[in-house]
Amino acid sequence: MISSRFARPVLVAAATLLAVATFGQDFANIPASEPSITDWMFDPVTPIAHGVRNNALFILAITVPYLILPQVLLFYCIWKFRKRPGAKPATFHDNVQLEVLWTIVPALSLVVLAIPSYKLIKFIETMPEPDVRIEVTGRQFYWEYRYPDHGNIRISDEPLVVPVRKNIVADMTSADVTHAWWVPAFGIKMDTVPGRYTQVWFNVEREGWFKGQCAELCGALHSKMLIDVHVVSQEEFDAWIEMKKREFAGE
Amino acid sequence: MSILLDKPKEPEGGKSLPRFPEQPIKPYRRPNPIYNVLGSTDHKVLGLLYLALSLFMGIVGGALAGGIRAQLASHNLEVLSPELYNQFLTMHGSIMIFFVIIPALAGFGNYLVPLMIGARDMAFPRMNAFSFWILIPSAVLMFASFGVQGGAASAGWTAYPPLSLKEFSGGPGVDMWILGVHLAGVSSITGAINFIVTIMNMRAPGMNLMKMPLFCWTWLVNAWLILIGTPVLAGAVTMVLLDRGFGTNFFKPAMGGDPVLYQHLFWFYSHPAVYIMVLPGFGMISHVLAAFAHKRIFGYTGMVWAVGAIGVLGFIVWGHHMFTAGISAELRLYFSFATMVIAVPTGVKIWSWLATIWGGTLEFTTPMKFALGFISLFVIGGISGVYLANVPFDMQVHDSYFVVAHFHYVLVGGSIMSIFAGTYFWFPKMAGRKLDERMGNAVFWLFLIGMNATFLPMHLVGLQGMARRIWQYRPEYAAVNSFISLGYLLMVAAGALFVYSVIEALRRPRDCDEDPWKINDVQKSLVWTTPSPPPAYNFARIPTIGS
Ligand SMILES: [Cu+2]
Ligand SMILES: [Cu+2]
Repeated sequence: MISSRFARPVLVAAATLLAVATFGQDFANIPASEPSITDWMFDPVTPIAHGVRNNALFILAITVPYLILPQVLLFYCIWKFRKRPGAKPATFHDNVQLEVLWTIVPALSLVVLAIPSYKLIKFIETMPEPDVRIEVTGRQFYWEYRYPDHGNIRISDEPLVVPVRKNIVADMTSADVTHAWWVPAFGIKMDTVPGRYTQVWFNVEREGWFKGQCAELCGALHSKMLIDVHVVSQEEFDAWIEMKKREFAGE
Repeated sequence: MSILLDKPKEPEGGKSLPRFPEQPIKPYRRPNPIYNVLGSTDHKVLGLLYLALSLFMGIVGGALAGGIRAQLASHNLEVLSPELYNQFLTMHGSIMIFFVIIPALAGFGNYLVPLMIGARDMAFPRMNAFSFWILIPSAVLMFASFGVQGGAASAGWTAYPPLSLKEFSGGPGVDMWILGVHLAGVSSITGAINFIVTIMNMRAPGMNLMKMPLFCWTWLVNAWLILIGTPVLAGAVTMVLLDRGFGTNFFKPAMGGDPVLYQHLFWFYSHPAVYIMVLPGFGMISHVLAAFAHKRIFGYTGMVWAVGAIGVLGFIVWGHHMFTAGISAELRLYFSFATMVIAVPTGVKIWSWLATIWGGTLEFTTPMKFALGFISLFVIGGISGVYLANVPFDMQVHDSYFVVAHFHYVLVGGSIMSIFAGTYFWFPKMAGRKLDERMGNAVFWLFLIGMNATFLPMHLVGLQGMARRIWQYRPEYAAVNSFISLGYLLMVAAGALFVYSVIEALRRPRDCDEDPWKINDVQKSLVWTTPSPPPAYNFARIPTIGS
């Protein structure tokens, strides 16, 4: 198909540009010490995130045939049925069995696909007995966290600190416009809606820093509404709480 | 189906049809040729005006995308201020939807539906002109808002309150945006009424609904979607307007209002809007594939039912845009299920297109290339849609670049590709000359590669956690985003070459006969029996369709 005088130089130029763009990039500007936000798929850290990852792979397994088959058939047609001298086009234009087949089979696949994800919704939506409760409030353009069971201490515009391997239940709301609290490694995104409470839970299986970001357009500095979560041991968490309580009392 | 142009059938049962004059009706021509365009009520002139508007606005909307891609070319640039960036993304979305895709499809509908059903014009020619011309003040209102205090609307094309309320979007930008949406909505609704009445009442004798070309079916369903959905959108944005200027409290949480209610109303229109933007494209793709495979459309009846099913189901799935909005788990289960059901009729269309070209003698003209490319891209957009229908996965990637990738595969890979296919296919009919095939080949490859280079990597950064609508981003995403911005340049090159080839074609003398593609021996469409371009009032005598 690529036969014209126009297309060939254009293609070469395009390929060169794209290659330069990919490989000429300066990867060094990413600080190596910080954990990356990008690898939740390979490194989920909560039961929900594991569930979402497995669910995504399951959908992939079911849908890949539907992704590949039409493309293969398309290229087969392009290759096989190109106009050749003397060839006569076929004249069929209906085949009821075939049409029933390609309605029923995908429909059944979708049922298979839906069942595990419905189970997972139930798992996500069932709040466990909380070990630590927090309240998340979205504000233009920072996050405010409250610990109602720990002297109601409040922190804003600084990293959320939670203990490792504990059930954290978060009640979320917003003080101004709708925001969304999203930490990919936790498999959680939930809108914080003014005048409403939404709820999520997570249980992080290892210590470390986890990144996230506001995911609902909330104004000019929406992109600066970053989320950092510091997951620490229970002892460190207790110490941190004590420190914050003193800070709070001293204010 | 064959077409008997010469022997009008006498109706049975003695009821006589109105007699049509034997000679073409001479339209009244005003002395100044400008009036013949500006004052025209001819469906063909209006169709071309729609297409011209769409092309012009496509350049504007594409330029806004250029601002966005320049800002995002690396992670910490300040090409645009954050405020201006939000205005650009809002207007990019609004313009592409309301002034590029919808008018382009309205343009094809206006031009082709009367020709396809053997009518001399749309049912209400003057309302047809009104539908087009009211788009101009609508566009002007939206554009002028860039010049007012506070700039254009910047709350996204979704305009979610409370962000779009006075407290957070102070200037008149949002008000002008809402009034622009109102006018565009009036245009859509009057246009839809016109299509429904035309298709239901003005088909040539003998053309029953199940003999009607598929493009007319897609427009009929589309018109109903517009007619049912658009008033709800108008209501929702009016409530925002009232909250902003007239002291009502529909969406103000402090006064007992509910921002989530707006989301329900907005998506009740805006999910069907996706189909409004792609159904007529489905119709065009069917015609192009059949034409250059030299076969008839496979599974016509199934295709009609699939389009109807998509139309009905389109109205009961809006909640899939709200899986993270805090709606109940039961509601999410329902919306998830209903959304997946839509994949079935959509799949029927894909399989039927493949069966349409199966066994044909494929001619790789430019429109055919766009149609084949459409299948490939639309499958990708459809499959990522199945992913997004799954609540847990959607809750992870909702409002991320994965979603941006998904809907650009549907709207660029689907709608825009079908608009390109339709333009290259019917341009000879509309203008009497073909667009240059060699340039067409280059436009196709540039666009196909540019489109994939732009939107395929967006799946990746979305999966990696990059939120959409952000002005700057974490440095992890910089490499992929630079690549994306270069992909955009390829699409610009395709667009520029396309515009040039249109100008080049229009400078040549007309040289096309009735059937310039030599396809009508199999297709038997009335469109290709009229001269290129068709005369005013299309048919000297209303044709009769035999069985
Ligand atoms: Cu925010
Ligand atoms: Cu939708």
